[in-house]
Amino acid sequence: MATNIDNNAVLIEVQNLRKEYNGGEVVALDNCSMSVRRGEVVSIIGPSGSGKSTLLRSLNLLETPTSGRIIFDGVDLADKKVDINLHRRRMGMVFQHFNLFPHKTVLQNITIAPINLKIMTKEEAEAKAMQLLERIGLKDKANEYPAMLSGGQKQRIAIVRALAMNPEVMLFDEPTSALDPEMVGEVLDLMHSLVMDNMTMVIVTHEMGFARKVADKVVFMAEGSILEVNTPDELFDNPQDPRLKDFLSKVI
Amino acid sequence: MNWSSLYADMNAANFFNFSFLPKYASFFVEGIIYTLLLSIVAVALAVIPALLLALMRLSKNKVIKAISGAYIAVFRSTPLLVQLYIIYFGVFGAIRIPSVYIGFIDLSRFIPGVVALAINSSAYVAEIFRAGILAVDIGQTEAARSLGMTGAMSMRLIVLPQAIKNILPALANELITMVKESSICMTLGMQELMWGAKTVAGNTYITLAPYVLAAMIYFCINFPASKAIEAIERRMRRGDKH
Repeated sequence: MATNIDNNAVLIEVQNLRKEYNGGEVVALDNCSMSVRRGEVVSIIGPSGSGKSTLLRSLNLLETPTSGRIIFDGVDLADKKVDINLHRRRMGMVFQHFNLFPHKTVLQNITIAPINLKIMTKEEAEAKAMQLLERIGLKDKANEYPAMLSGGQKQRIAIVRALAMNPEVMLFDEPTSALDPEMVGEVLDLMHSLVMDNMTMVIVTHEMGFARKVADKVVFMAEGSILEVNTPDELFDNPQDPRLKDFLSKVI
Repeated sequence: MNWSSLYADMNAANFFNFSFLPKYASFFVEGIIYTLLLSIVAVALAVIPALLLALMRLSKNKVIKAISGAYIAVFRSTPLLVQLYIIYFGVFGAIRIPSVYIGFIDLSRFIPGVVALAINSSAYVAEIFRAGILAVDIGQTEAARSLGMTGAMSMRLIVLPQAIKNILPALANELITMVKESSICMTLGMQELMWGAKTVAGNTYITLAPYVLAAMIYFCINFPASKAIEAIERRMRRGDKH
């Protein structure tokens, strides 16, 4: 079936990505290659400082790679001639610390990008925002400022802010790490509902249970390298790399 | 020679010998107006160039960054008095401003003075802007850029509105500094407060009290202003808590 082929097409292809800091003194990413297919959920796990966040942030060029290629829907984003802004619109990103705009209301947080980028009219953007807020049960918070919200509410609104752009892929950078434990559930539930909607997702997380449950593919990183890529069951039950075995013995 | 007669003046009463006031009060009133106009206009003129300088200084382009850095370094590392003279005699020696009066203010002196102060102030205000912008969490820029906003758009819509909170109190303090610093314009015959005091002292041979009065006036402008800024800053910080 034609749709099937399309659904399985590679959306992001990372090739031999390298990221250095301080002129090569620190190597954050070393020869990383991976791919994300449309509709696929990829989890990136590994000890802190392993380069997971750097790899994720490279996907939409918040980190500029030193060398290598990031091919998003056929275009190499690492190429300096590419207008990255046009591609970032198609990639939603969710941050550990939410990064909501504190001087804007919840509604404005969600609509500011689509309106100012002239993707939607004000009316369209607000209708879309209200519909998304309704979905997460926070419609009544539309005119509040972020300071009035709990961490879990902030993160769900940050997710909705990214969704309002109708992205083709969602990038999550440790979305529950800054939350109080009782608020982790509501954020994971929302992410799970995106999985159910067949959203393409790349998730850097310490929530091993969640990664195992929702991911199609798990990537294990340590010291800037991708050491193992496998289905969750294989990777968690039958780890091959000694560092992965060591890591899993500590976190599970 | 009777040395003690030289010091005959030096008693407490002479500090506050304001007997010149009935006749010369207008020198102080006009002086206050001139000083305030000079300071406010200078800082207001400095704002836009300062914002440009700050953005240039934060630019990734090394040449643009260096130009702004050099400008700021020059104007912060040389005395205001020297800058004033160079701009007054150098720049405005070439560009003649006609001697037009607005009230008691001679524009041919006021404009060069205010421009010199503004040029100097822009270097300081640029650093205020830069610090205010850098104090905004980098995550704000990242969130804006990840939504596809351009650098300019995220600066205008997301970063600057938040930086203003850090900038305004410092800018108000710059204005207070300018009220004091503008006194050096006296040396070019601008009729600001210090010039008024000096003229009164010269005309009346009361050498001390006019300056004491000038000091009191400067204090009565600046001290309440700085206290007000502190209070506003405290309130803004309280509103900031998440």
